Amino acid sequence: MLAVIVSGLAIGAVYAATALAYNVMYSTSKVLSVTTGHLCMLGGVFGAWFIAGLGLPVPAGLVGAVLVGALFGGFTEIVGVRRVLARSDEHLWLLSTLALATMLQQAVGLWWGTEPKPFPRLIPQDFSSGLLDQKYWLPILTVLVMTAGLEAFYRLTLWGKLFQATSEDAFAARARGIPTDRVRLASYLLAGALGGLAGFAAGQLTFAFFALGLTLTLNGFIALAVGGLGSNLGALLGGAGLGLLSAFATYWFGGEYQQTIAVGLLMLVLLVRPEGLLGARRVRPV
Amino acid sequence: MRGSASGLSLALAGLALVTLPWWSGDLYQLHLVSLIGAYWVLVAGLNLVVGFAGQLSIGHVGLLAVGAYGFAVLAGTLGLDPLLVLPLCGALGGAAGLLLGLPSLRLPGFYFAMATMAFALIVTELSLAWGGLTGGGTGLSVPGFPAPFHTPWGQYWLILAIGAAVTAMTWGIARRMWGRALIAVRDSEVAAASVGINVFRVKLTVFVFSGVTAGLGGALFAALQTYITPDTFVFEIGLFFFVCIIIGGRGSILGPLIGTAVLTALPELVAPLAKLGTFFYGLTLLIVVLLVPEGIGRLVEVLAARLRAEPHRSHEVRPDLARLRRALTSQAGASPPVGEPPPVGETRPPEAPALAREALP
Repeated sequence: MLAVIVSGLAIGAVYAATALAYNVMYSTSKVLSVTTGHLCMLGGVFGAWFIAGLGLPVPAGLVGAVLVGALFGGFTEIVGVRRVLARSDEHLWLLSTLALATMLQQAVGLWWGTEPKPFPRLIPQDFSSGLLDQKYWLPILTVLVMTAGLEAFYRLTLWGKLFQATSEDAFAARARGIPTDRVRLASYLLAGALGGLAGFAAGQLTFAFFALGLTLTLNGFIALAVGGLGSNLGALLGGAGLGLLSAFATYWFGGEYQQTIAVGLLMLVLLVRPEGLLGARRVRPV
Repeated sequence: MRGSASGLSLALAGLALVTLPWWSGDLYQLHLVSLIGAYWVLVAGLNLVVGFAGQLSIGHVGLLAVGAYGFAVLAGTLGLDPLLVLPLCGALGGAAGLLLGLPSLRLPGFYFAMATMAFALIVTELSLAWGGLTGGGTGLSVPGFPAPFHTPWGQYWLILAIGAAVTAMTWGIARRMWGRALIAVRDSEVAAASVGINVFRVKLTVFVFSGVTAGLGGALFAALQTYITPDTFVFEIGLFFFVCIIIGGRGSILGPLIGTAVLTALPELVAPLAKLGTFFYGLTLLIVVLLVPEGIGRLVEVLAARLRAEPHRSHEVRPDLARLRRALTSQAGASPPVGEPPPVGETRPPEAPALAREALP
């Protein structure tokens, strides 16, 4: 039973990290990017390639994976979001980020191969340590640090306050002289870095697998919608809840019904509390 | 004039399609066109949802799988008459569409897209889990159609007939009040609701209709493939349907039809594209969204309108001052000159009215 809880929390941490990346991008651009899960996938795949493929030391691999994630995040903003936001059509960003996500997944699949490949050990540790193995506590620790860091960033630094001002009202922020375009680009770079970091930390749990992105995009979104759009603490709670639910569903019913149960949770929460557990109540625009 | 020309081209295209088995090169081409037809049956219904009502359903492959497995189980395992099973598959797809649409159509854009994507993943998951019914990972073999439709030609004609019927239905829906209501919902739900459109019911109805066509398309698709596994219905196929519509142009019927035909045929005919298939779809989608968000169909329309001789020229009226002065001076002396032929200009209409108007005060 303890094993189910620990593994559920670990995979839930990955979902929560994806939800955090969603939040960072959503706050400045009001865009829910389909590429979010793919950022984590990039962290895992490139981390494995840098360390196992190129033989770089672990810190260099970590920096590389984070850089690749941030680069792709910035690329998403420049190619897929910036031009589309200038137009008034509401859902074009969904199409452009979907296109980018598809292209990235296929490109990585062609280059890396379609089989999941093992992720190297990051910290020297015996394989017999069971539930204390790094593949469980590393993602959990990472996402806790990420959440605390994000909250500190938003509350304590000037750039964080710029993010918040842009998130509250982009037009007003612009009128006060905040370069909202640059803030948006910075938020995408930050989200990419967070995604890359999370994918790197969780690599031993999820393996370096090209199709991971789509699953994470969906499950991270479920965690986000359950926890409440825009709330970092909600993302953490939603991720943990979803991870535990998936783990227990696998434990009781077998692995076949994971997705069904996750979506069932999403539908239930959306029917009962459409704004999520900790989300702000949305006012319908007229 | 234009109506009869387009009617003629439509009749010619129809004739070419009906007689295709006699002039097409080989069975493979016939199979390819049949596949396009089966896809089109689904895309035609999806077009109403995506192109007209503006609901971005990226997981219609789930409904396709429901129709395909329904056909395989009912006609194969239970041994019912395939021609009877075909409408049953449509009903099955419609029921699945209702089940999916009831909760998810209430959600705003991105939530809805994610819900349909999740549905596609769930169907794959269940088709693996219910091994007793669906054969699990090994899949099911699918029976063909009975006597008049058992040859590749017969199958082709059956698909063609169903495709034509579905096209006619969507055409009828799109042109009349329903289609206008859908476009209103796409452009602004609030405005649509304020003029008395029951937004949710309109969306749900058209989504269930797309479920029916998806079920039919799935049955035809399964019969064409003759063997289906869960791997047949990967999420990328749903993306492919979606891309066909966006590329063809939203709010058009011909555009998505051409989009389906081109995107299905291109990877088959150009070998290097086959490996890059899905990457190519993504790239096309990105280019279209960034450069021509209205779709290539709209681009072609604009180009054609520019190339075609303009039917309405601008009738610019320029006063011919010299002639006017002459007319005024002659009017002062005697009666105006009669029978002077008006000078022939390139774009100018006959100038008499202009002269009269200028001469009046």
